[in-house]
Amino acid sequence: MTTPEQSQDFSAQGDNVHREWHRFKYPGSLIKYGIFLGVLLFFSYSVHYLNIPLERMLGMFGRLGDVLSNRYYPPDLEYIADIDYLGAIIETIQMAYLGALFGIIISVFLGWFSAYNVSPSRAFIYPVARLFAMSCRSVHEMIWAILFVTILGFGMLPGVLALTMFSIGFAGKLFAEEIESVDMGQVEAIRAMGGSHLQVFVFGVFPQVRVAFTGIAIYTWDVAFRAATVVGFVGAGGMGWYLKRNVQQIETERTAAILITIIALVVISEFISAWARTRVSKAK
Amino acid sequence: MAILEVDNLRSKYTFSGPEILKGISFQVEEDDFFAIIGPSGAGKSTLIRCINRLIEPSSGSIKLHGTDMLSLKAGELRRMRRHIGMIFQEFNLINRMSVMDNVLSGRLGYVGSLRSIFRVFTNKDIQCALELLERVGLKDHIDKRADQLSGGQRQRVGIARALMQEPNLLLLDEPTSALDPKISREVMGLIRTMATELKVPVLCNIHDVQLAKEFCNKIIGLQDGMKMFDGPTETLDQSNLDEIYAMEVL
Amino acid sequence: MPNSSSVLTVDDIVRVRRKKQAVQFSFYLVLIGLVLWSIQATIINDTDWDRIGSLSDIGNSISHFIGIDFDLIPDLLGPTIETFMIACIGTLLGLIICIPAMWFGALNVTPYKPVTYPIARVAMTLSRSIHEIVWALIFVSAVGLGAFAGILAIAARSLGFIAKMSAEAIENIDDKPVEAIRAMGGSQLQVMLYAILPQVMPVILGIVIFEWEINIRRSSILGLVGAGGLGLVFFRQMNTFNFPGVTTVILAILGLILIGEIASHFARKAMI
Repeated sequence: MTTPEQSQDFSAQGDNVHREWHRFKYPGSLIKYGIFLGVLLFFSYSVHYLNIPLERMLGMFGRLGDVLSNRYYPPDLEYIADIDYLGAIIETIQMAYLGALFGIIISVFLGWFSAYNVSPSRAFIYPVARLFAMSCRSVHEMIWAILFVTILGFGMLPGVLALTMFSIGFAGKLFAEEIESVDMGQVEAIRAMGGSHLQVFVFGVFPQVRVAFTGIAIYTWDVAFRAATVVGFVGAGGMGWYLKRNVQQIETERTAAILITIIALVVISEFISAWARTRVSKAK
Repeated sequence: MAILEVDNLRSKYTFSGPEILKGISFQVEEDDFFAIIGPSGAGKSTLIRCINRLIEPSSGSIKLHGTDMLSLKAGELRRMRRHIGMIFQEFNLINRMSVMDNVLSGRLGYVGSLRSIFRVFTNKDIQCALELLERVGLKDHIDKRADQLSGGQRQRVGIARALMQEPNLLLLDEPTSALDPKISREVMGLIRTMATELKVPVLCNIHDVQLAKEFCNKIIGLQDGMKMFDGPTETLDQSNLDEIYAMEVL
Repeated sequence: MPNSSSVLTVDDIVRVRRKKQAVQFSFYLVLIGLVLWSIQATIINDTDWDRIGSLSDIGNSISHFIGIDFDLIPDLLGPTIETFMIACIGTLLGLIICIPAMWFGALNVTPYKPVTYPIARVAMTLSRSIHEIVWALIFVSAVGLGAFAGILAIAARSLGFIAKMSAEAIENIDDKPVEAIRAMGGSQLQVMLYAILPQVMPVILGIVIFEWEINIRRSSILGLVGAGGLGLVFFRQMNTFNFPGVTTVILAILGLILIGEIASHFARKAMI
């Protein structure tokens, strides 16, 4: 009879045959750990190449806290109560939803063209549409803003265009993925009765993806809004311009106030979009 | 002395809710393969989980080798749980880990933190694991991922893992409900053979009365949290069964 | 026997439908009105149409960008590598600082729900609300110009997404292995190592790879505010009105992103 303090000892009943097993297998484990080591080496080399002062890193937190509390606090709230600045906020909101709106409308068609299953021409339109969407996605919204400002001058037009390109990049891919996962049965039905490409899309694809598209559209608006807050930095209208001016003039307390408004607006827009998306998915 | 003594065990889910177990008492001896049968909702699963306190009973006493389980504090409870092996209805394996690692994990109660992080087990543990894997017939599957195995194979891994703990008691929670009939008999047979050989008493919550009658030597019938039958398998007759399963007929 | 007042007549139904349609119609009308007003107020009023000139003037401006500055290419190699490294290290650093954030931010493992969970969610929201350019500005003022500020900016920006998605993954785990490890007397650490981590690890890795790709895109412009990489080259080319140079830099960025996509494709395949 054994007591709880000592468990049973099964080895007394074992057969004393020696068996082999190793955790590290050749070549599988070698390759795995080799890659791991390689990645580690790359990172250490990068740290060295970029002159990153690792020993300063911990001290950096102290310095950051120092900077934040001395120079960025208290935020200059009077500055942002200015009517011009509030106008800039309205501008930012308008740019954001115009850019998102145009971008989404274009993306609906772009998504259709770059979806392999229903693209009107797989040989030509499909690759071109894919390439276009990829380019829009890869180019950062700041680059779009700078380019449009260079061509069109300062103002909100370049801002809206930059946000449109950004939204196309964002929504285009998501729309295409949605379309590629529809039930092809409905599509085939419309094709079978002789529908044109457009009819196939409108009657076969669109009803299936309508709800998902709405969710993606709301998400796009949310993301576009974030981008809209900073395109003004390069002259494309909105709050970003105030940010740039105050950063250049090292008016850190005003910068802090502007940052607070940016954060507040983005958080509000996130709540709105999250609410809207749950409403949409419930209405399904 | 009985290995496991359960006395007037009561359990509720919430403080003011209904009682799930209404005063269960029984004893498990060293060579018992004890079955708990009863309709769904009778409290079988709750009873099994009260033994190792995965569910906390509200009152009563559970004594394993004379130690009162319910008075143990957190650390002591963990140490006690090392000696209780459990086999689950849905196998509860670590799916992405290999069969070998799953079986070795049975020793976790005895392994320190540092060794747990690097999965360093003693040579004795490895030998024991290999031997158990051979006994349950999985010698050729040692390095496969657990989710690449069939249901019956996975339960065998579960058996090997539970036995790795060198337990004083085996708890089985519907070990065959997720398996087809032929595999179920194989698994029950395997458990009985190894438990008898290693002298480990078994307490088994089981749905299938036929299996219970074939493999178990004693049976408890539960209905609505109360014990309706307690005795050797041979004495279980149709009238007892009707009493236990009365609610199902209705 | 139903009396006539409780029976829906066809007229009633038509009336209700018409009313609903009217409400919907006026809603869309208001929406379109808002859009038109915005377009008027922002684009039409605000734009200096004279300065833009005619369509052919615009075409002329665009044509300046067509062409590649081949002399610039050797000078691009260093900044390109720098951008790539900033993205890699920034993502890695982001993952490291995410570990407490995802631990606190998952309802099933957070140590002290009333305090640690809100802290985590606030941190995630803050991280995602602040644009990477703004993060870069903050860090440049704290640690000076250069790649270090860029890395910190990327890390700070990535924290939100990685932590949020990973916390969700942790909340969605199968708790059966957790039960098994607990039942055999495993400690909290062992439960985490053997039951939670193996389930959650592949998901987190996928999230990190996804965010790493996006970070390459972000790193490319941090140089605009002095945080290292191709952004600075871009800025200089713009300032010296070397438009083909600008195009060349953009092509370099596109190339880098392409490499990132190919690499992440293979990394994903290796993980399954």
